[in-house]
Amino acid sequence: MNKWKRVAALALAGVTALGMTACGGNTGGGSDAAADGGAGSSDGTGELTVAIWDTYQEPGLKTIMEGFTEQTGIQVKLQVTPWDQYWTMMEAGATGGTLPDVFWMHSNQVAKYAEYDLLLDLSDKIAASEVTQMDKFPQELVELYQNKDGKQVAIPKDVDTVALWYNKTAFDEASLSYPDETWTWDTFREAAKTLTKEDGSQYGTVLNPKSNQETYYNLIYDWGGTIISDDKKTSGWDDPKTIEAMEYIEDLIADGSMPPYTTIAENEALALFESGKVAMCMFGSWQSDLLSNEYVKENCDVAVLPAKDGNRISIYNGLGWAAAAEGSNTEAAWKLLEYLGSEEAQKQQADLGVTMSAYEGTSGGFVEKSENFNLQAYVDMMEQTVIRPYSTDTVVGENMSQEKLVNAWNGTSSMADVCKEIAAGMNESLQNEQ
Amino acid sequence: MSGKKQGKKELFWGWVFFAPTLAGLLILNIIPIFQTIYKSFFQTGAFGRGDRFVGFANYAKMFSDSQVWQSLLNTFVYAIIEVPISIIISLVLAALLNRKMKGRSVYRTIYFLPMVAAPAAVAMVWRWLYNSEFGLLNHMLKSIGLGSVNWISDPNIALISVAIVGIWSVIGYNMVLFLAGLQEIPGDYYEAADIDGAGPVRQFLSITIPLISPTMFFVTTTRVIAAMQVFDVIYMMIDRSNPAIPRTQSLVYLFYKYSFIESNQGYGSAIVVLLLLIIMVLTVIQNKMQKKWVNYN
Repeated sequence: MNKWKRVAALALAGVTALGMTACGGNTGGGSDAAADGGAGSSDGTGELTVAIWDTYQEPGLKTIMEGFTEQTGIQVKLQVTPWDQYWTMMEAGATGGTLPDVFWMHSNQVAKYAEYDLLLDLSDKIAASEVTQMDKFPQELVELYQNKDGKQVAIPKDVDTVALWYNKTAFDEASLSYPDETWTWDTFREAAKTLTKEDGSQYGTVLNPKSNQETYYNLIYDWGGTIISDDKKTSGWDDPKTIEAMEYIEDLIADGSMPPYTTIAENEALALFESGKVAMCMFGSWQSDLLSNEYVKENCDVAVLPAKDGNRISIYNGLGWAAAAEGSNTEAAWKLLEYLGSEEAQKQQADLGVTMSAYEGTSGGFVEKSENFNLQAYVDMMEQTVIRPYSTDTVVGENMSQEKLVNAWNGTSSMADVCKEIAAGMNESLQNEQ
Repeated sequence: MSGKKQGKKELFWGWVFFAPTLAGLLILNIIPIFQTIYKSFFQTGAFGRGDRFVGFANYAKMFSDSQVWQSLLNTFVYAIIEVPISIIISLVLAALLNRKMKGRSVYRTIYFLPMVAAPAAVAMVWRWLYNSEFGLLNHMLKSIGLGSVNWISDPNIALISVAIVGIWSVIGYNMVLFLAGLQEIPGDYYEAADIDGAGPVRQFLSITIPLISPTMFFVTTTRVIAAMQVFDVIYMMIDRSNPAIPRTQSLVYLFYKYSFIESNQGYGSAIVVLLLLIIMVLTVIQNKMQKKWVNYN
């Protein structure tokens, strides 16, 4: 009896102690985010910490990093943190002065990080480098990763576009012809209706309010609308053309061509497509899980997006490789950036099937990599592109719009009302940014 | 001669042994509390730089923010479901497992296991069990001919589903506390009750419950505090685009969202200060009320 009591007491003491720290994190208002990220900068051993958020890219990037280590003798440690936690980790790191040495940058965040001088200024290093050729990268991407004074703060890593994935088996069953460059959004809507089965076992398509770049942003620009004005001062959500495009989605929902909203909310579009639950889906070229999924390999393929009045626009974006301005080993960090931005490494990235690369003419390998799919569609989508809309505080506007769009998706408000609401909210927060 | 000296020496060593705990409390809890209160009066810039003093503006905004009040309500509803039910179940389990029976320690271990698992992992597993399309629960409902339920996307049900996970996770912990309390009760009382002809239920109600009330008080107080701080299960199970989010997000969830996702730490701090005040008031009330029902022999 006594022994058990002692054990119980010990266990209790342990658990209470754990409980205490947990409480501390919550009420304390601050420092526990650092604990879940924990990406420290290099500890003086010369090893570089590199932070990324995509597990699917990890193996390929590891191979590229090994090449770098072979060439320079500098060790590299790759850390993967999922997208949602990545920025929390980065924010904590930036606040506490412990950013990783080298990390991925995104259009949503770069302006904020650049404004606070957290990113290593690369301009002089690029000018002195024989390897780095900024004119080989898409101009818009280069500009995206410049601060307000025009200093380069990141090297473009890749480019991504959006294309239409479809389930060939479902198309054959419905005796529809596969999507191709003749398709318009009207064709798409009709096909979605045809592909929807009444018993709910298969739906035509799914668009998730959470994935803007992959879905509705493309439609909005096809229709001639905008998300944000060029001077980043006003929202385009109340532009009649934006609303018209979004109302097209409202029609898709009303047609019953999409699963009920509860299903959309609980399941990623990727899971629904990979399980054959939806027959057509728009996916970005970074979704490399599709390429290795057995079901997708057997049943699916990819084509260019449908068009509207001759507009076949893909939102495009590209990540950047950036380094911490206050890193303890910025020389080595720059060497890594220089290596990653070289034609050779960019070509290797595409050849390994990691992503399409930003460096001009290096993406061929990405297309050839997969014999199963027509990945050329992603490259073709590069012909008419719009860069993913961004401002200083992109995330605040995006999160707000995604939350509000839920009401239009589940039918509690009309799409037009929701769009106007988003515009009002976004104009307010844009004003705060100035 | 040594009386005073001895006392001083003891005092010194007392502080030495106390220091690690004190340091932990100061660094992890007490200093951050004051920093948080301080921050709540600022419009904070990104990365903790460029803070601008705004007085009570964050609080004024908070009091007119219907989202805050809805999340406060959600938090209360969660606590009202989780605390009593988890206490009742774990007390009954503790009473059952306090008898001499075969495999007692195996059962005790099993009930305690959820406490050992990482909360995030627990939430992920439950998220899949609850999934309306591919989840095990709906699969079972379908196989016995019932319709499926949108466990975590129906605004009316989602909070209850979250609370069920909370209850499941905490039962083992409460149970161990109650077990310790039960073993403090002298066996004589039960023997006397047996002689007087009281059945097990009567014994439970008239002897066990009053004599375990100090433990019950401790468990209730700490559980209320923990339940008011619910965050991880909601964060892991309910997506931002989930239609149930307005009716499930707790105060700490809002605090996290503002502080760490939208880097508006001033407003996030104001929210969490509100929560701190509410928890303090609740705990004071509970302490006052304990005289009415807690039995310290």
